[in-house]
Amino acid sequence: MSDKALIHVEDLQKYYKGGAIKALDGISLDINQGEVVVIIGPSGSGKSTLLRSLNLLEIPTGGHILVDEVDIMDPKTDINRHRQKMGMVFQHFNLFPNMTVLKNMTIAPMKLLNKSKEEAEKKAMELLRTVGLEDRANAYPSQLSGGQKQRIAIVRALCMEPEILLFDEPTSALDPEMVGEVLDVMKNLAKEGMTMAVVTHEMGFAREVASRVIFMDAGVIVEENTPQEIFEHPQSERLQSFLAKVL
Amino acid sequence: MSNWWQELKDTFVLNFITDDRWKLIVGGLGNTIMIAFFAVIIGVVLGALIAVVRSTYDKNGEDMKRRNPVGFYILSVLNVICKVYLTVIRGTPMVVQLMIMYFIIFATSTNDIMVAVLAFGINSGAYVAEIVRGGIMSIDPGQFEAGRSLGFNYVQTMIYIIIPQVFKVILPTLCNEFIVLLKETSVAGYVGIRDLTKAGDIIRGNTYSPFMPLIAVALIYLVLVMVLSSLLGKLERRLRQDER
Repeated sequence: MSDKALIHVEDLQKYYKGGAIKALDGISLDINQGEVVVIIGPSGSGKSTLLRSLNLLEIPTGGHILVDEVDIMDPKTDINRHRQKMGMVFQHFNLFPNMTVLKNMTIAPMKLLNKSKEEAEKKAMELLRTVGLEDRANAYPSQLSGGQKQRIAIVRALCMEPEILLFDEPTSALDPEMVGEVLDVMKNLAKEGMTMAVVTHEMGFAREVASRVIFMDAGVIVEENTPQEIFEHPQSERLQSFLAKVL
Repeated sequence: MSNWWQELKDTFVLNFITDDRWKLIVGGLGNTIMIAFFAVIIGVVLGALIAVVRSTYDKNGEDMKRRNPVGFYILSVLNVICKVYLTVIRGTPMVVQLMIMYFIIFATSTNDIMVAVLAFGINSGAYVAEIVRGGIMSIDPGQFEAGRSLGFNYVQTMIYIIIPQVFKVILPTLCNEFIVLLKETSVAGYVGIRDLTKAGDIIRGNTYSPFMPLIAVALIYLVLVMVLSSLLGKLERRLRQDER
């Protein structure tokens, strides 16, 4: 583990309408190898925008994002190469509906990493076993429950062997009884040392799994600390009132 | 009763057998199918290209402006050309376009069928373009994002993720466009091409007996359309089978 951050964010801004709306207003942040950084905050606070900026699904207005010390905001950087190493899991799963589970998982490794079909499928089946869905390999997404879809989405991202996984509210679109199965997969990943950035409303998950919790409001980081400190000794008034509402 | 039957037989013989008039119908049918077939190909190729330009400009323009300003400039020019094309083609009647092609642009050409193929193909391209573009726009943006987040570039995301889904969505509308095109070729007679409709009309003019030739022509169109839609219906069902 090097002491250089895996992701280094510096003074990141995202403005809409020429600065009238500031979704991100000067965010600085480091994510180190093996860390689980959980971002919490009220809706509209910019947490999803921040996460989506990390792989440039959202193009920031200003600032710098260094991944492995390469500035991905530089137009000359090959962003597609970086995205291969940054898996993303979405609120609405975004599985490809016209492909089987296996095809969903193998298409990117086969086309982008030049893996053979056998190699890609072997890896995919291994990953499916870890989430207990190996019997669904030939199913189509429409035949899966929400929780199953999200677990597939997670292992689809893992098929590219990413250095970091970004989770954008991965359990917000799930039935309450399916939240647990997805969180369990994420906990296991954390235990195995996967670097993760997670935007979530699951305070239990943040408390239990996070190495660091970031509280955002109105496009800025209000507080950043260990889960213990955040949940037991919130400093700012904004965080106190937020926690009072959600806990 | 036998009188009525005899009369029907006589009209039939007069309209189709005498002077080998059925050959007119067969020749016209051949021309109609040829014009429609090649026009569909031109229309689909042209329409797909235009749809790609237009939706790339809409969806990827911002990103491209940042990374590849020259490419973006070219794309903007292409986008404007496509918009003008769509406006002109969709804003003027097919018959007028055909006559302009025939009497002005290709006035010196002797290959009437080719001129008609071009005119109908260029016309159809405008409608196909909007069908394809609508299909692309109807795909959940999350599908683009999922593709891009895995590391596919814009073109790869389009080819591997989006287009296969678009194809399934637009197939019924596309089928409709093919049917419209097939029937619209019936105006080819305006520039003296002997298509199916014209053939029926020539017979009518010769025999002064409109019933048989016109009904025959109508029935042939009907059969053509039914065959076409049943073929496309089969394709559609095969594509849907994947999903459940």
